[in-house]
Amino acid sequence: MLSAQERAQVAQVWDLIAGHEAAFGAELLLRLFTVYPSTKTYFPHLGPCADEAQLLSHGRRMLEAVGVAVQHLDNLRAALRPLADLHAQVLRVDPSNFPLLIQCFQVVLASHLQDEFTVEMQAAWDKFLTGVAVVLTEKYR
Amino acid sequence: MVHFTAEEKAAVNSLWARVNVELVGGEVLGRLLVVYPWTQRFFDNFGNLSSESAIMGNPKVKAHGKKVLTSFGNAIKHMDDLKDTFAELSELHCDKLHVDPENFKLLGNMILIVLATHFSKEFTPQTQAAWQKLTTAVANALAHKYH
Repeated sequence: MLSAQERAQVAQVWDLIAGHEAAFGAELLLRLFTVYPSTKTYFPHLGPCADEAQLLSHGRRMLEAVGVAVQHLDNLRAALRPLADLHAQVLRVDPSNFPLLIQCFQVVLASHLQDEFTVEMQAAWDKFLTGVAVVLTEKYR
Repeated sequence: MVHFTAEEKAAVNSLWARVNVELVGGEVLGRLLVVYPWTQRFFDNFGNLSSESAIMGNPKVKAHGKKVLTSFGNAIKHMDDLKDTFAELSELHCDKLHVDPENFKLLGNMILIVLATHFSKEFTPQTQAAWQKLTTAVANALAHKYH
């Protein structure tokens, strides 16, 4: 699905995130909840106003999963099977929400990397995250 | 009618005042055509769109990007009256250009990403929310006359 060049771009972006999963994840969730408030309905355990500690904790978990995906670009389905099952059986996040998360992810990357967030990086990362979303929602029915 | 709060208008205007419409317009449209290549379907007469560098350097892409973003500037002047402001453009996009309104959302999202690259930390979650509200409202206004 991803070309060699696109994989290199994905890896390059991940290098910048690795080690900072909590901070990136927290910012991602904060932007998601601020810009698309309806997404909060999927996080009732974070309460009506998630505090920083909760955002950091949940954000880290989400970004660590993204990291797993980055390490297994050749075999996303196998690597993400537990998460795919979780989303299909328990979380059941409406698939329309994944593009919202992806948009916020791009904004986080863009605001941190600025000029370094090249169009090729954006294209590769968008394609990669969209692929992850497909795998996570594939068992819904 | 979409209502924008004073804070939302301030967030939009404060960034807009510092946007280089020519530069950002070209960047936005270029990125749209690269990241979502199927959007190239509307631009058969734009010449060379064969690679990322061809697209980003294409003078027609830059000119059209500037035109589109200038129109956005008009939206910002009429945030309380977007449907009327874009009525004619809506008819044009439906009847003559045959553009699926989904593309307006894609372009709007791209505007936000490019603004984030330019304004970095200043593009706070609240600022992003205000701009998202605006681009969504513009997209809806442009789709309003479709039939």
